[in-house]
Amino acid sequence: MIITRRSLTLGSAGLAASGFALASPAIAQNEPIRIGWLAALTGPSSAPAIGFDRGVRLAAEAINGAGGVRGRQIELVVRDTQGDPTKAVNAAQEMISRARVHAIWGPTNSGESLATTPIMARARMPNVHPCFVDALIDPTRYPNAFRMAPSNTQIDDAVSGYGVEILKVKRFAVIGDTTGYGTTTVNSSVASFQRREANVVYRGTIDATQPDLTPDMLRMRNAGAEAIALWTVSPGLISRIMNTRANMGWDVPLIGHPAMGSGEVGQLIAKPENWQKTYILGFKNCSYGADGKLPAHVQTFVDGIRGKVNLEDTTLWWIAAGHDAVTVIAKAVQESGSTDPAGIINYWNGVRGFPGLYASYTWSPQEHNGVPPSDLVMSEANSMRHGAYRLAPGYA
Amino acid sequence: MLPAIILSGLAVGAVYAMIGVTYNVMFAASRVMSFTAGQLGMLGGVLGAAFIGVLGLPAILGFLLTMAACAAVGVLTEIIAVRPVLKSLEQHLYVLSTLALALMIQQVTSITWSTEPQPFPNLFGFQGGGATDEKFWLPILACAVTVVGLELLYRRTLIGRAFLAIAEDNFAARALGLPERNLRMASYALAGLIGGLAGFASGQLFLAFFANGAMLNFYGFVPVALGGLGNNRGAIIGGLALGVFQQAANFTVGGVFASVAVFSVFIVVLLLAPQGLFGAPAQRRV
Repeated sequence: MIITRRSLTLGSAGLAASGFALASPAIAQNEPIRIGWLAALTGPSSAPAIGFDRGVRLAAEAINGAGGVRGRQIELVVRDTQGDPTKAVNAAQEMISRARVHAIWGPTNSGESLATTPIMARARMPNVHPCFVDALIDPTRYPNAFRMAPSNTQIDDAVSGYGVEILKVKRFAVIGDTTGYGTTTVNSSVASFQRREANVVYRGTIDATQPDLTPDMLRMRNAGAEAIALWTVSPGLISRIMNTRANMGWDVPLIGHPAMGSGEVGQLIAKPENWQKTYILGFKNCSYGADGKLPAHVQTFVDGIRGKVNLEDTTLWWIAAGHDAVTVIAKAVQESGSTDPAGIINYWNGVRGFPGLYASYTWSPQEHNGVPPSDLVMSEANSMRHGAYRLAPGYA
Repeated sequence: MLPAIILSGLAVGAVYAMIGVTYNVMFAASRVMSFTAGQLGMLGGVLGAAFIGVLGLPAILGFLLTMAACAAVGVLTEIIAVRPVLKSLEQHLYVLSTLALALMIQQVTSITWSTEPQPFPNLFGFQGGGATDEKFWLPILACAVTVVGLELLYRRTLIGRAFLAIAEDNFAARALGLPERNLRMASYALAGLIGGLAGFASGQLFLAFFANGAMLNFYGFVPVALGGLGNNRGAIIGGLALGVFQQAANFTVGGVFASVAVFSVFIVVLLLAPQGLFGAPAQRRV
């Protein structure tokens, strides 16, 4: 056999090509699973991401310590977005095109997520996030995006359901701050109460810096309100409402946003008793029952991390949701057999009752809101202990 | 309901008025509109809460330390942001220099203090809402003390007359041998005291919050424009009127529309009286 220069060149090229073709799956099977984590770790809205981050790292360490997923270690690619949508967009693009992550967890606030969701959808990047805005989930436009938290509609329904069905109140005042969140949530909350045939006797927005709320609350009382639904994250506004309620001697329940249970509110109220009769949206898995205990699997988790992770300056549900995010991504890689985006998304579309710490997630090709309404409860705002709250009155 | 609106309006208006006077005192000595005025108010609340609430110092000592610190910030403003640009006043470089210093003060406060509002301690034990609540009458009292104090200072003391002299004509004042630079620094210290007092007295009303500086800068400027630049009586009346109108607007039109109502009236007033309600038209030698 005569070996010509041409056949030698062709043969070498063929060998090289076949070698690369054979080698690439081997590399893919050994490379780490890169999880992008778009976290607002600094800036004025950093509190949730700091809590989520603790759960994310706990889960990654636990999975890697147990040998990884199909022998592959988890590698976190963390970018601090500072709560700024522009920075979040840049970070998402960098994760997709340069860091080449396999899935992204976050961003953790809706403003950032509204900016990054279309970008991730174009790149078909598997994405789980905990943001509330309804428009962020649309299986047709964003088939890659899955929610691991309640939507605003679910939250509205949980709060109105508690007010109407459990507190048995029929006349509500619905108020919020003057931010975009406050004004839109007042509208959606009013609609939710009205769907339950409750009477919204007062609705309005209040500037969070308004120093005296007596006139506003007198109007609510004169309108006949028997409960106030409050939608704001401003501790100043929340505490002023609680203090004014006490000064007026008006024994009316406050229901609504979880921020009413934050430690900052506890510092700003004039007396501890001003914090009573305040019920916030909570999560069944992260609430203490009548026996003072969390659900068994969450209690085991909390007992396991006590002393290692600070639970006093954050909320348990943030840690639990961060932990769940890494777990569902790892599970998708485990079950689909690879980090192929289509495989991960396909697995999530078939998840039924995934037993997370924060919630039991169910997704389908038509429904990417993963938290079932039954996992949403109301909690007593002034009862935080180790990051979790006591169930509000009325739950069995 | 009306008493509640008037009470909170007067309290808030008193704070705006004092910040307006802070602007005026700095302007009179240097012809510079210093945008650190609101930050001095913010520092009065934050430092008061830090000294009394966090460090646990007696209220009187905390008050004195707060005043001293705010006066020092006033002097620093003159040295850092005003003195270097005095030679080119017509270029309005002070807008940049004082605004930059104001932003620096705000950022340092947010990093070292908190980005969330913090409680300001109750000083005399009068709480519970209504007219007896000290969070309402303290700012009004502080405003009254400021008005009386400035009247006495400007009319009864030599240094007060010297302040008026450099405000009237600093070249002539210098020609008469008045130490213009020292008097300007003293004016900025005085502005620091007034701004700090406004923030300290309103600590329970506005809470100790780093973002109060920008808000006070904004609403403190309105009485200056309404009352006429450099006119302290105009600033006091304009500030009180602004506070009452703002609280009434909060009540009647609520939330997002209250600010719109306030600034609509502000614009209308300036269109009708560009020199301010109490200011005289500027005279120019021809």
